[in-house]
Amino acid sequence: MAKRAAAGPTPKSVTASTHRHGKGRCVAILKKLSAYLDDELPGDICTDLRRHLGACPNCEEFLTSLRQTVTLCRHQPAPALSAAERARMRTTILRAARPR
Amino acid sequence: MMATSATKTQPAMPAADPSRTPASFDALYRDHVDLMYRFATRLCGETEAAKDLVQETFLNAYRGYHAFRGDAQVSTWLYTIASRACMRMRRKRKGEPDHELSLEEFIPTSEGEFRLQIPVDGLSPEEALHNKQLRQALDDAIAKLPKKYRMVLILRDMEGLSAKEVGRIVGLNERAVKSRLHRARLFVRRELSARGMATSHHAHNGHPAPQGRM
Repeated sequence: MAKRAAAGPTPKSVTASTHRHGKGRCVAILKKLSAYLDDELPGDICTDLRRHLGACPNCEEFLTSLRQTVTLCRHQPAPALSAAERARMRTTILRAARPR
Repeated sequence: MMATSATKTQPAMPAADPSRTPASFDALYRDHVDLMYRFATRLCGETEAAKDLVQETFLNAYRGYHAFRGDAQVSTWLYTIASRACMRMRRKRKGEPDHELSLEEFIPTSEGEFRLQIPVDGLSPEEALHNKQLRQALDDAIAKLPKKYRMVLILRDMEGLSAKEVGRIVGLNERAVKSRLHRARLFVRRELSARGMATSHHAHNGHPAPQGRM
């Protein structure tokens, strides 16, 4: 980040109007964000991507929200089957499955 | 489904594996019913349909049990049966078109879209995970996903399977799984954050409101 600061304002003070990375670059980055989150990118591409993220608050925020999405999915609880339902379903299945 | 004429000349079933008994199937049911119910609930979104799906899955599993050779994990085998049953059930019931999600529709065209945030501001990561509204919003977003994307997202990000396993279950190569997964995540992100815009009036604390956010 310190390196990028020399090339322009620090990311914090970057506003919409000073974002100069070009949409094409951001689009290319956005296409790779899941692979980045899943740690599937080769090292050099990963470095490039990090460099862009450090300098582009838009992509950085996009990444944050995508990461939150994945975290929420991973921890989303699901209702459990009650013991009674489990037993009832077992009876139904075994009865239906029994050869006639 | 198979041509009946062909079955005449073939044995009706492959040689039965002696370990495949009703009792061992019962054990398989007990060991996996919770896993399948969780998966089914996530796929169907409501309990009755989920129970139907679990039932259908185990019935189909029973029919194929004698031929299951154990070269895949039992869970993978059951996930595969459940996925297929789900594709059939839902299609029959609703005839909903399973449209494609194009990557382009998720590429932000404005600063505001880039910066859409999931309304977790002010919440610790743990609180966010336990936030009821957020969990409901996530369920809603997943329910809106076209089925084949929902399937991949659930298997990968909720059931925690590898892209390779997911590919085996849904019959896609890894690359296609990853591509579907990315679109599904982008879809859910947009749904969650769009909702956030409507409900996050309390959530701007400490954030310099970027231009074009609203």
